[in-house]
Amino acid sequence: MTLGAHSLIAWIVTVGTMSLSCAWLVYDTRNLLRLRGADRRDPLVRDKLFGYVIGIITAIVGIVGVLRYHF
Amino acid sequence: MSSPAPSGNGQPAGTPPRVVSRLNPANAVTASRFLTLPPFLWAVHHGQHDVAFFAILICGLLDKLDGLVAKIFDCRSVFGELFDAITDGVCYGFCLVTVLVYGWAPWIPVVIALGLGGLNSLLRGAYVKRAGRPVNYKSYAMERLVAFVAYLVGFAVAGYEVTYFYWTFVPLMIVVVAHDGRRMLVDPVPPPAVQAPAAAATVGAV
Repeated sequence: MTLGAHSLIAWIVTVGTMSLSCAWLVYDTRNLLRLRGADRRDPLVRDKLFGYVIGIITAIVGIVGVLRYHF
Repeated sequence: MSSPAPSGNGQPAGTPPRVVSRLNPANAVTASRFLTLPPFLWAVHHGQHDVAFFAILICGLLDKLDGLVAKIFDCRSVFGELFDAITDGVCYGFCLVTVLVYGWAPWIPVVIALGLGGLNSLLRGAYVKRAGRPVNYKSYAMERLVAFVAYLVGFAVAGYEVTYFYWTFVPLMIVVVAHDGRRMLVDPVPPPAVQAPAAAATVGAV
């Protein structure tokens, strides 16, 4: 693999990871805020809350990873 | 070669489930993902990082495309959902094993991730037995982790913060499998009649 190809792939990964992570962070934060008044005894609501929190953590992991690579 | 469409697809209550052929465009797109595996293996074996990267990129894009095709052609089915989940496991599992064997990824987190993936499949099988019907257990958290797995392969191929991403994935996967395992094995299984409106409400809420 040439240096140019590696640089291109690294930038594709950077843009792809950063854009998806930021979008995901906004999307799941919005989903989480929408569920504030929901009945938490409902298993489906609990599962959604858990999923959105995992989504937010995953998005933060992605953003931090990109920042670590570049700085 | 056909299966009923999943519940909550807008059909009036009381009508028999619409039968969808298994040979439909969405399943064809899903099956085509397997075609990316030989080029991926070839590329990793020959050290062609760029070819391997684009192979896994195409595999990931096809994963997103099959759901869209199922909506456009109105060919969603229980079989299609299960086939998609199995294809995810086979494709990403194969790619993870490949990058592990060729030393492109740290072996401990990969082995833990593959083990937890296998455990999750067993739990899903147990859930199908408990439910008494071929139902794909929906997990919002696992949906997000599957996307993370696709990225893990890309990170390994690109040599992009590999250690960081692989080791942060492991605790997330442990927590999600434990959470889903409790739901699949312990929590009561919702009856189909109750599950359909709940699923419809979910689509409306998100």
